[in-house]
Amino acid sequence: MMERTVMLGSKSGLHARPAAIFVQHAKEFKSQITLSKNDKTVNGKSILSVLTLGAEQGDQVVLKVNGDDAEAAIDKLTPLLEGDLG
Amino acid sequence: MKILRGTPAAPGLAIGSAHTIRPFPPVDITAKRTTEASVETERLEQAIGQAITRLDTLRVAAKGPTANILEAQREMLDDPELKQGADDLVTSGFTAEAAVTLVAADYAAQLASLPDPYLAARAEDVREAGRRIVAELRGTSLEVHLDYAGILVAQDLAPAETVGLDPAYLQAIVTETGSATGHLAIVAQGLGIPAVVGVAGVLTQLDEGTTLIVDGDRGTVTLAPDEVSRAEANTRIVSAQQERQDLQIFRDLPGTTADGVRVEVFANIGSLAEARKAVEMGAEGVGLFRTELIAAGGIPSEEEQRVIYEEVAAALQRPLIVRTFDIGGDKPVPGLDIPAEANPFLGWRGIRMALDRPEAVFLPQVRALLRVAASYDVRIMLPMITVPQEVEEARALIDKAMQDLQRSGQHARRVPLGIMVETPAAALTLDQFRGLVDFASIGTNDLVQYTYAVDRTNAQVRERAKPLGTATLRLVEQICQAGIPVAVCGQLAGDANAVPLLVGLGVRELSVAPARVPAVKRMLSTMTLAEMQAQAQQALNKP
Repeated sequence: MMERTVMLGSKSGLHARPAAIFVQHAKEFKSQITLSKNDKTVNGKSILSVLTLGAEQGDQVVLKVNGDDAEAAIDKLTPLLEGDLG
Repeated sequence: MKILRGTPAAPGLAIGSAHTIRPFPPVDITAKRTTEASVETERLEQAIGQAITRLDTLRVAAKGPTANILEAQREMLDDPELKQGADDLVTSGFTAEAAVTLVAADYAAQLASLPDPYLAARAEDVREAGRRIVAELRGTSLEVHLDYAGILVAQDLAPAETVGLDPAYLQAIVTETGSATGHLAIVAQGLGIPAVVGVAGVLTQLDEGTTLIVDGDRGTVTLAPDEVSRAEANTRIVSAQQERQDLQIFRDLPGTTADGVRVEVFANIGSLAEARKAVEMGAEGVGLFRTELIAAGGIPSEEEQRVIYEEVAAALQRPLIVRTFDIGGDKPVPGLDIPAEANPFLGWRGIRMALDRPEAVFLPQVRALLRVAASYDVRIMLPMITVPQEVEEARALIDKAMQDLQRSGQHARRVPLGIMVETPAAALTLDQFRGLVDFASIGTNDLVQYTYAVDRTNAQVRERAKPLGTATLRLVEQICQAGIPVAVCGQLAGDANAVPLLVGLGVRELSVAPARVPAVKRMLSTMTLAEMQAQAQQALNKP
């Protein structure tokens, strides 16, 4: 399992569109993907769950990936979270 | 006849027959399935697939914020947790309709409890996603169809419901709930369709086909209007159409007098939305970008400001004159310790504060503007100038900012520098600013207030000021003789009585509210420069 702590870069936090973009990319991978903020951990392929994190710009979120393509997933998703996410 | 009141959400007037949309029939969330669980989960899977296909068709037509929301909603339909949660409930005995409604309601409740108001508002999108799936399970769709001209009357309209509507048939929108700043208002304004929202109980007071007059300016809905009201509405509709058509041709024309003398018509803005409006109305540039709104919650960082100015400049793609922060004792700014003053209009404000607090107020803004100027036509304008020394000091700070940026390898460009002429001191001595400034813009509201010694916020004396009095006009005349290009960006610039006088005195740029741009271009086109000059000369000597 791979894990990264990321500071959220999106200006509007994980609002609807940034969350949709993240989830679309997460779904490209077979690995199990979770996002955590504080004590709450959710399925990174579920937009509804990701939205309930209420994550804002500058928040620390933990990205965990478990599976065969974990490395590729981490490489793809980490910069997405750090960047603007459209 | 009966008149109901609501909140005006999009301007305009319409008369037509009501096309009512009754609320979505509720789902019985206690309903137990009578089929095998596997049959029910299979139905659910199919319904989700159909809802996604239908939404994809809608998304093709959607633009902007609506498209973003539909994109998120598509992901909601395709959400693995939603499907899993609903399947679990089906297994424990619920119908597919009840299961998906319950799971959507659970996520909606979680979102509604978040502190971020934007995310809390997404609760409705989740419920809508649930309704989309239920509609497919019932063999219908959520979309509203309007295949003849009519006024849509509904409890509420979700953004997705409005996407499928053909604007050619949609005369107006009336809803029982909603606010002036909600989705529906934005959609209706974008389509140019009158809308009144928050009309409580309207659905219970009319039938399909009832004749309505919808007044999106006043926020009223007239049910079954009498002959007189109908005639009055029809007259207003025809004259509004005529007015729009007449002005349409001026949008894309440059501002000129009847004899072809160029007078640029610019817009005053305070936000990105107004910048877009300025482009839409055919403004030739922005003559005044008031940046105080940006600082209302405290002065943003250089980088934050750069992003804001770049968005505005990119939306415009034409000259952008930015006035540096005009902050003072009458508008407190968080993070800046501005002492209370007995006379804030005569106090520590505008350029005075900028020069006294360069690092806190002036320099971050200047650096942000110089950086955006590397890619766009940006010009800087200084507020509350009285003497040339203030411009010299500001220029030294701007030069230093430029050097700092170049040293750190940032792209930046020198920009034209101008001043607001809003004090009699600057107006009377503007010739002494020659060589120091590239342009001057008259802020008529303040110039009139300082000239007539009338506090414009004091209702007791406000009427004593004479915006078009001899004193104002003589100052404008003197300003125009200083040998510096002169604009007017105060309210007078959009005033039908003032335009010929200002241009006659030598003003060659008028900066007005975005919506006024076509009307001002038309005013200019009706008189020759000689006629305006004659009118101005007469006014200068009127006692």
